[in-house]
Amino acid sequence: MHSAVIDSRAHDRDNGTQSRPDLSVTVGDLVLGNPVMPASGCFGPELAPLIPFERLGAVVTKTVFARRRAGNPAHRLAETSHGMLNSVGIPSPGSDGFRSGLLRRYQAGGTHVIVSIGGLVASEYYEVAEDLADEDIAAFEINVSCPNLEQGGLAIGTSAERVAEVVSGIKELVAVPLFVKLTPTVSSISEIARAAQDAGAAALVVANSFSGLSINLRNRSSTLGTGAGGYTGPGIKPLALKLVHDAAAAVTIPVIGCGGISTAADVAEFMIAGATAVQIGTATFTRPTTMIEVIDDLGPLCEALNVRNISELIGTMDNRVTTGLSL
Amino acid sequence: MALVLEAPEVAASVRPGQFVMLTAARAGESAPALPRPMAIYSRDQGAGTVEILYGVVGAGTERLRSFNPGEQIYTVGPLGRGFEVAPDVQTVLLVGRGIGTCSLTTVAQENAERGRDTIAVTSARNSGALIGVDFYRKHGAATVHAVTDDDGTSAPAALIASLTEQHDEKPPQLILTCGSDRLTRLCQTLSERWEAPMQVSVEAHMACGLGYCHGCASGARSQGNESPLICADGPAFAWRILAETDA
Ligand SMILES: Cc1cc2nc3c(=O)[nH]c(=O)nc-3n(C[C@H](O)[C@H](O)[C@H](O)COP(=O)(O)OP(=O)(O)OC[C@H]3O[C@@H](n4cnc5c(N)ncnc54)[C@H](O)[C@@H]3O)c2cc1C
Ligand SMILES: Cc1cc2nc3c(=O)[nH]c(=O)nc-3n(C[C@H](O)[C@H](O)[C@H](O)COP(=O)(O)O)c2cc1C
Ligand code: FES
Repeated sequence: MHSAVIDSRAHDRDNGTQSRPDLSVTVGDLVLGNPVMPASGCFGPELAPLIPFERLGAVVTKTVFARRRAGNPAHRLAETSHGMLNSVGIPSPGSDGFRSGLLRRYQAGGTHVIVSIGGLVASEYYEVAEDLADEDIAAFEINVSCPNLEQGGLAIGTSAERVAEVVSGIKELVAVPLFVKLTPTVSSISEIARAAQDAGAAALVVANSFSGLSINLRNRSSTLGTGAGGYTGPGIKPLALKLVHDAAAAVTIPVIGCGGISTAADVAEFMIAGATAVQIGTATFTRPTTMIEVIDDLGPLCEALNVRNISELIGTMDNRVTTGLSL
Repeated sequence: MALVLEAPEVAASVRPGQFVMLTAARAGESAPALPRPMAIYSRDQGAGTVEILYGVVGAGTERLRSFNPGEQIYTVGPLGRGFEVAPDVQTVLLVGRGIGTCSLTTVAQENAERGRDTIAVTSARNSGALIGVDFYRKHGAATVHAVTDDDGTSAPAALIASLTEQHDEKPPQLILTCGSDRLTRLCQTLSERWEAPMQVSVEAHMACGLGYCHGCASGARSQGNESPLICADGPAFAWRILAETDA
């Protein structure tokens, strides 16, 4: 592929003073050069000609299943106000196909590789985790939350007991650190966050897409082939920010914020709400170089916010103004 | 509407049938969230420019219209697999409907550069909506069939009759089509009659245009292997392949 990005914002903008703010953050045992990583499914090695992967805090793979899956029928995408819906349905090359193909390309990127894993039943999570446990990967991100799956995803992510069962089940089998990516549509994110922590999670990702629908007026059917889809993008930012705030307040392990982030200011908001790092999804579709632009903007933003080290922002929300949050 | 982009890298490397992703959101804006796939209507390697034609349909193209000359527009490309023309092909039949013709015009441009002949069919509702007639003539098309619904010339029976009458004697060795299921079926008939292989350019809703989001899979299939991805395995497909994938 020959690719060109025609744009005014070059990578090598001038931010080269000696006393640059320190953007590094620590998630469990992982030290990230900066808090920005892609969201699962919104990133791939195909982006290598457009963005320098080594500048990302980490890369996150699309969710891998133990066995090959075809995904959902077309249409799989619909634009909505303030974001998009998708019903991709997690097609997968299976653990064997992933190991021999995509994984190597992610690893060539020169940063931490976090592998998202999924399953329709608990045993499938164990299978894919064991299949990939010996690979050189920084962490598994357990996707208990994808609302697109025919059965398992949603059910596991909405029950504290089932989350605990799957996380502790994987923990018994593999030594790789476990991140757990929570589903947003639950009555108490705190309860599920605590269950994941108690079962041995090293970090949480908060959160996945919201279940949504859009209707074609002409034939009164869903614009997506499967009916409902996952709603993502700028419209979910306030919802995800609140979930991050509540989850971070409930646990001591790091929380990685995800949902509607597209600017450095968004990153700072999530960190102040309690996130240690962030993931960017839909905004990469809008502009494939978004993550790099955000990282470039974080240094100047830290200066403007008067912090020498970006991790000084984490969980510093002034809680006098949050009393309304639990209403 | 027409958009001329100063994009030397795209102009230098784009192959007929490939496309670009245009982000209609300006820097700092987050809507429209998805970039729009757009075919390259023509390219000028010397000037380093490519031209895109679009119809204003919805929010995305409405926003594209608001760009002013001289403004920058975030563009990624060229993307996808374009048409493949075997070395022994001397005459190519291009059959496009409406804005779909924009995926075919650079084939005529390349044919002219490489000494191949073009037969072009451009179809539309009415004569005002016809695309590419002058372009095809300017780029050496031997015959241009401009057909419309208004005068009945675009009806498959009429079109087949006039195409076979004129070209049965010296038929094209390759048929390329874009923009209409009806024309695709017509091309299939011609493809069988003339034993000329056929390729079709397909549209799909896209998010990444690069092959990683899996949003553009073509088929209704949800078992076994995933259906081909329009953005990366296409948008141009050999008709045989597409017919096998229940798209
Ligand atoms: C390979 C390829 C080449 C294309 N080339 C051209 C071109 O040269 N000129 C042109 O005018 N249009 C072209 N299109 C269609 C174009 O991308 C726009 O999606 C279409 O014009 C709809 O306009 P909109 O974005 O304003 O509609 P909106 O209503 O804003 O679209 C909403 C969403 O639906 C998607 N969508 C709607 N219609 C189509 C469609 N027909 N195909 C794919 N996605 C669609 C949009 O991309 C967007 O994600 C091409 C599409 C593909 C896949
Ligand atoms: C096209 C698409 C595919 C996705 N695939 C996955 C996936 O495979 N696994 C997963 O855990 N989340 C998946 N997600 C959800 C994202 O990782 C992320 O949680 C969500 O998009 C919210 O972030 P955003 O608003 O920045 O996009 C997907 C989202 C989109 C839009
Ligand atoms: S548009 Fe993303 S895979 Fe084709």
